[in-house]
Amino acid sequence: MLSFEAKYRREAMEVPSVPLLGLGLLKFWVGRFYVGFWGLVALLFGLIGAGIWFWRVVLLDATRTGNPLINFVRGQIEVPSPDVGLSLTTDPSKGLWWLVVMFCATVTFIAWMMRQVDISRMLKMGYQVPIAFGVAVSAWVTIQIVRPILLGHWSEGFPLGVMAHLDWLSVFGYRFFNFYYNPFHALGIALLFGSGLVLSLHGATILSAAGKKKEGVTEHNINVFYWDFLGYSIGEIGIHRLAFWTALMCVLLSNLCLVLSGTLVQDWSAFWNFWNKLPFWSGF
Amino acid sequence: MASEITRVESADWRTTRRFYLKFLEGLADTQIGPLYIGVWGILALVFFAVTVFVILFGYLEQVGFNPILFVREFPVLSVEPPPPSYGLKLAPLAEGGYWQIATFFLTLSIVFWLIRIWSRAIANRIRPNVAIVFTSAIFLYAAIYIIHPISMGAWNEAPGHGLRAQLVWANAFSIKYGNFYYNPFHMVSIFGLLGSCLLLAMHGATILAVVRLNAHREIDEAESSTEGTHRAQLLWRWVMGFNATATSIHTWAIAIAVVSMVAGALGVIFSGTLEPDWFQWACRAGIVPGVIQPGTTSVAACLR
Repeated sequence: MLSFEAKYRREAMEVPSVPLLGLGLLKFWVGRFYVGFWGLVALLFGLIGAGIWFWRVVLLDATRTGNPLINFVRGQIEVPSPDVGLSLTTDPSKGLWWLVVMFCATVTFIAWMMRQVDISRMLKMGYQVPIAFGVAVSAWVTIQIVRPILLGHWSEGFPLGVMAHLDWLSVFGYRFFNFYYNPFHALGIALLFGSGLVLSLHGATILSAAGKKKEGVTEHNINVFYWDFLGYSIGEIGIHRLAFWTALMCVLLSNLCLVLSGTLVQDWSAFWNFWNKLPFWSGF
Repeated sequence: MASEITRVESADWRTTRRFYLKFLEGLADTQIGPLYIGVWGILALVFFAVTVFVILFGYLEQVGFNPILFVREFPVLSVEPPPPSYGLKLAPLAEGGYWQIATFFLTLSIVFWLIRIWSRAIANRIRPNVAIVFTSAIFLYAAIYIIHPISMGAWNEAPGHGLRAQLVWANAFSIKYGNFYYNPFHMVSIFGLLGSCLLLAMHGATILAVVRLNAHREIDEAESSTEGTHRAQLLWRWVMGFNATATSIHTWAIAIAVVSMVAGALGVIFSGTLEPDWFQWACRAGIVPGVIQPGTTSVAACLR
């Protein structure tokens, strides 16, 4: 326990529970971890899902490599075959295990988000952390559930494996001619690089002034540094708002770029054909 | 919104003479202040202006100085590096000379920008951490535009200066060296980049959740943490059994961002020099997913 932790645990015990949403039920800690109803749900489904994955991919040794580490990197649970469509197959050779692991993972992710809601509530904090995690879960749900349902095949999801999902990503980029021409992909990547930029600027900025109070250095020095450097200082709340929205919009735009591919847009290069036909430059 | 914002009161001439916009209060407690120019700023801005001028002049020449075509073709116009036959030699203007001039001045302006950030940090009595982290981004730029082309013996290896040209380069570079998804340095770099997005969301969300307790005043919190930071620390401790502190979260932040850029730069530098084909590397490492051929231990896709 941290030096100040006992007080907050006592305070947490007094927060009323909401049984309908499973909040504040089974309020106890194991070591550092808070458990709660959603913690148990996450643990149960996480263990089932991860257990099946390790059994099928690492222990079963389907490709007879004899090396668990190699299996971990290159093994996979393949997506259901296209003829299964959206049915819930019970045939292990047609993707039963993909459906089971995918279901367990989805339940685990949502339970983890609810766990963050529970803990935020007990600590009397805002719900920004579960909201941000919910956006990350939305990426999983979009790729593995929403888009396959829109296209009518579970086989549109990605295989569950370290190298296998890279292969899927590589092929996915070229299935719709070329993802580099997908404008929402471009915005998503710009915000992904932007995340790296904002994160490194913020981290470096705080470290550059931390622990220099004795020398009379305060946040004012940082403000002046940024006025000098960029002509603008976003301020202490502002940088965290920028951080939150840069990261969240990156994921939300990526969701959009994926869900449009194969549904409304089949060819991201042809998508741009409207450009040369715009009326401003007809005749040139 | 405005009530939770703490303005720094100071007699500094910048604080009183700054350009103040009421509607920006919700986003920022500090506002648009005078930009410092200085000698390094002049050098950086002038050389950057030269770069932009050379690139735009190259574009205009390609469209015959027709302004309407210039706008229509802008996304695909590019000042390309010289063809491979020129190697590392200087090329005529239209055959890559514009690219060489633009890249030369762009590199200079980036270096002067670095010196500018460094000297402004010193002048404001803070450590030059922003400049130090910026060098890792410059390392990635140098790897792509200078180190890799020189080690392969041709400026042609570098991307052109154009909107589409960069995407075309990224695409072609990956395929040329056997698909970058199999490049282990690229894997680490993407891990760092996606990790940056994750950490940014985590940190931003955590602080925004305890703004009412002034946890966003991180310079003070790093000195001695108060209730807001304690609650934020306990959130992560209870969720995942681990928590950072107001100082260490920013060390994690720069660490993961720097890993992303340095690993990316190494991945570019080693392509074609140490490893001409990353797919073949993955085959040798035995990590390509697929079906094992009977009687061998290698994957069908790896057999040549």
